[in-house]
Amino acid sequence: MRDPSTVLVRPVQDRLTLAMRASHVLVAIFVALALAFAAIGVAIDDTFYLRLATEALIFSGLALSVDILLGYTGLLSLGQALYFGLGAYVSALVLQRVPSFWAAMAAALVACVIVGALAGLIVYRVRGVYFALVTFGLAQVAAKAVYNTRELGASDGLIGIPVVPVDLGFGTVQSNAPAGFFLITLGVIVVLYLAVAYLFETPFGRVLIALRANERRVPFLGYSPRAARLAAYVLAAVVAGLSGALYPMLRGFVSPELLFFSTSGNAIITVVTGGVGTLAGALYGGVILTVLKSVIGSWTPHHLVVIGLLFMAAVIFLPKGLMGLVRPWIERLLRRTAR
Amino acid sequence: MKPVLEVRGLGVSFGVLRAVDDVWFDAEPNAITAVIGPNGAGKSTLFNLISGQLRPTVGRVVLDGADVTVRSPHLLQRAGMGRSFQITNLFFELSVFENLRLAAQRLESKRRMLLPVGRPGPARSRVDELIARFDLSAKAGDLAGGLSHGEQRRLEIAVAMAARPSILLLDEPTQGMSHADTLDTARLIRDLSRDVTILLIEHDIGVVMDISKHVVVMQHGRKLAEGPPAVVRADPAVQAAYFGHA
Ligand SMILES: Nc1ncnc2c1ncn2[C@@H]1O[C@H](COP(=O)(O)OP(=O)(O)OP(=O)(O)O)[C@@H](O)[C@H]1O
Ligand SMILES: [Mg+2]
Repeated sequence: MRDPSTVLVRPVQDRLTLAMRASHVLVAIFVALALAFAAIGVAIDDTFYLRLATEALIFSGLALSVDILLGYTGLLSLGQALYFGLGAYVSALVLQRVPSFWAAMAAALVACVIVGALAGLIVYRVRGVYFALVTFGLAQVAAKAVYNTRELGASDGLIGIPVVPVDLGFGTVQSNAPAGFFLITLGVIVVLYLAVAYLFETPFGRVLIALRANERRVPFLGYSPRAARLAAYVLAAVVAGLSGALYPMLRGFVSPELLFFSTSGNAIITVVTGGVGTLAGALYGGVILTVLKSVIGSWTPHHLVVIGLLFMAAVIFLPKGLMGLVRPWIERLLRRTAR
Repeated sequence: MKPVLEVRGLGVSFGVLRAVDDVWFDAEPNAITAVIGPNGAGKSTLFNLISGQLRPTVGRVVLDGADVTVRSPHLLQRAGMGRSFQITNLFFELSVFENLRLAAQRLESKRRMLLPVGRPGPARSRVDELIARFDLSAKAGDLAGGLSHGEQRRLEIAVAMAARPSILLLDEPTQGMSHADTLDTARLIRDLSRDVTILLIEHDIGVVMDISKHVVVMQHGRKLAEGPPAVVRADPAVQAAYFGHA
């Protein structure tokens, strides 16, 4: 039996769903390019660029976590490095004892949920500028604490993290295999993307989007804005932490710089350049920024100045970022094909 | 009949201003109780106290026999209260459809919080029903921010009632509407009151007299009079305070 009114109303194509589908297309293109890149890397027996690209993907994961907060929930975190660093350190500590990829990832996940929930109890009370300041402060405190803790290697960080075999069930990849670990990292980042994209297409995720759109009305939907903010914060912490957990596997070390503001700040620049509120922009942005840093860094030691200028240019000329420019175009294509 | 809502001696002060001062009344089930009074009388503040946005300094709010005075707004919503706002308060950057879907999604079971939106279900059929009822089908895919004022006011009511509240607080739903739209909306509200208890703030006296069963008159934060529309209208104090100004 069907309610007669459902027959009268033509089903509308939801804009948010359409936008997310467009993001999927962009990410599919991203993955195709990444696979082609890996194939070329293998063919020419490259190590340097594959490892650089792996690092870019890891920072894309951090940017993804910034976009959850900034682009969807409307919260500017100046301290996502806290969870990126937490994931990296926990992963490193685990790998020093047990050479298990899965154990390291699981430990980073658990640590980020716990610390995210605890810190969230402070953070969820505030929004806007206060949210930015509190997240900044928490990350600074954590960075200073790590910097001064001898057991964590203090200013040197933890070095000599052993190579870890990644057991995929059907085979094993060593974390020092450039193409192999690039693909593992790509896989992790894509899974994180898909999980986050999925969540924003559920009633839960839509409450977070509602928070960004108009927080004052959210209580009158029957949801606590604070609880929603806490959930978004923990989700972002987990995404940042799982990305960070890959870092010591790639580099063989972790250092307190991972927790510094420059890490958080770069992730924000990444999202803004790639396109706030697109998720795909975090992935593209991570690559763009890493490439810029390394290419410009090889020309001039003042690469931060150049990046700063490019960032300002991006904000002024591409206010919606690269994906913000491209995505509406794909949305139109999708809408047309749906008819 | 047992009242759905009991307002007992409610009061709140902003500094020295007693915006709401010792207000008592009941709202009967499936009827419209109108709250009227001049600008600044404290009507919206009264709604804010009832819907949990403001904490009263004194007094109690009883919903379906339970004291809900200090409950936060989202819990009151879950207990069956819905409200609309005098100043349109929508998700302007989301579509009309999504505004309604968000407002209706609580009709789904908790389990579906983590399942994809857009599947058929109680929320989806409720949205379709509201879109038809509020004549928004041509605009369903448009952004709420792009609607005309009258359409936004209609959506405001639709969003407030989407989760099937047992009591609906409407703060000047017809504000800024054309006369024809006001009459349409009044008819709609009267129809709604068959299934839901309505508390209505309304400036159009014609509408109030027409559709409400009970009228509460406020002035300077206080209740000046209450009773059936005709009785209130004849009250000399009300005549002087309110109709004199109108
Ligand atoms: N948050 C607040 N802080 C201080 N004063 C307030 C606040 N909210 C309302 N007031 C004051 O309380 C009084 C009552 O305001 P309220 O908005 O409840 O009136 P109203 O009856 O809804 O008027 P209108 O018909 O103009 O909507 C006004 O004098 C207003 O200025
Ligand atoms: Mg008012």
